[in-house]
Amino acid sequence: MIRRRICGILSAVLAVMILGGCGGSTAGSPKTRYQATLMDLFDTVTTITGYAASEEEFRETVGKIQSEMTEYDHLYDIYTPYPDMVNLCTVNSRPGETLTVDERIIDLLLFAREIDEKSGHRVNAMLGSVLSLWHEAREAGIADPANARIPEAEALQEAAAHAGFQYLEIDAERRTVRLTDEKARLDVGALAKGYAAQRIAEGLPEGMLVNFGGNVVATGAKPDGSSWVIGVQDPDGGGEGYLKKIALQTGSVVTSGDYQRYYVAEGKTWHHIIDPETLMPGTRWRGVTVACADSGIGDALSTSLFLMDREEGEKLLAEFGAEAMWIAPDGTEFFSDGFRALIKD
Amino acid sequence: MTEKERLRFRKGDGVAIGAVILAAATLLIFFLLDARQTEGPLVLRIYVDGALIREMPLDQDDTFRIDGAYRNQVQVQDGKAAITESTCPGEDCVHSGWISQPGRSVVCLPNRVEIRVEGRPGGEEVDAVIR
Repeated sequence: MIRRRICGILSAVLAVMILGGCGGSTAGSPKTRYQATLMDLFDTVTTITGYAASEEEFRETVGKIQSEMTEYDHLYDIYTPYPDMVNLCTVNSRPGETLTVDERIIDLLLFAREIDEKSGHRVNAMLGSVLSLWHEAREAGIADPANARIPEAEALQEAAAHAGFQYLEIDAERRTVRLTDEKARLDVGALAKGYAAQRIAEGLPEGMLVNFGGNVVATGAKPDGSSWVIGVQDPDGGGEGYLKKIALQTGSVVTSGDYQRYYVAEGKTWHHIIDPETLMPGTRWRGVTVACADSGIGDALSTSLFLMDREEGEKLLAEFGAEAMWIAPDGTEFFSDGFRALIKD
Repeated sequence: MTEKERLRFRKGDGVAIGAVILAAATLLIFFLLDARQTEGPLVLRIYVDGALIREMPLDQDDTFRIDGAYRNQVQVQDGKAAITESTCPGEDCVHSGWISQPGRSVVCLPNRVEIRVEGRPGGEEVDAVIR
């Protein structure tokens, strides 16, 4: 009841803003709230929300995000080759060859190598040999649930022998890369989307909120100065039951969870965050939400923390100045010190 | 190159051709403006490939079936809406649950369907949702 009344007041405020154009920190230019949805990018849904002076202005911003994100999506795609483009799929399909690549690929791979080291190899973009086995098993299992299987332990072990950044040469000056092992493969799934989101967000107008398939990035407060509110869904329920609401003006929020991408095989659920140590889906947490100024780092941290105990996770957070919320398998919630301040009642 | 690897590459080629055709044919998508919306009753708008195909008042219980590459069953009940059944792989849309707040939407990516609550500007409760 109270909530309904608050909603009523809030929507009245918003309505006034739209109709009359009062309110909003940018005096003189009444701004309207718009929302757009994009598909086809990074195999996920992108939702763009913002306040703009005109529909045209907003469309322009959406078009910019769309075209930039499409480029990143194609460059970082490990499954699909594109005509006239050397992307990560090309790199993966031509081990041993020295390939000249786009600068955005070099930048991503240098970032990935740094994250691999700092995360104690939890987030390892050179684990593609192992992850591809899980990817194939998951795709096949979703398409044909009756015959769903998990990869064989022996095959995983064999693949793991071809994992690691020692098998990737990056020459930043010449803009070339080379896989030095015949079976080594890149898989940037744990960080490419967040990394691309950050690069794109840096060129956006202030006061936008973009949800790149779970990587949320805000570029400043709403025109009235208030924060964006991000609902973190309960892993066990969809809809509008939020575990926590997070207030965000600038920066990013991202969640890694065992309920995000998964399939059922041999009577059990198998999710997509593979622990490089066990080569199996991590079981320590149900989900980890990370708030971080940089969406690329936040994306990588959420995966990394998902595979670490809390103590080790806290250390990593401190190193990057990020905050986190952990959900244990029994539903218990844990928070880093600074995270509570972000929670909106 | 082993037999198995050769087969895998062929399959990838097919996917690539499909992706290129899809990208060329559909070039993205969905627009939705809250521009002309102020106060008013909430509605559920159903978009397929960015095109509005149906509007359902949120205060009237009803169902609607979308026949695309897959089949989505949309249900409106007690002021809320959901995709309650789907033949798509994974059924992420069904797992997304029920929505009632303006601006909230459920997407079935394989079927290129979005159902969205509209009628007032979004952001009354949350501005974005992550899971």
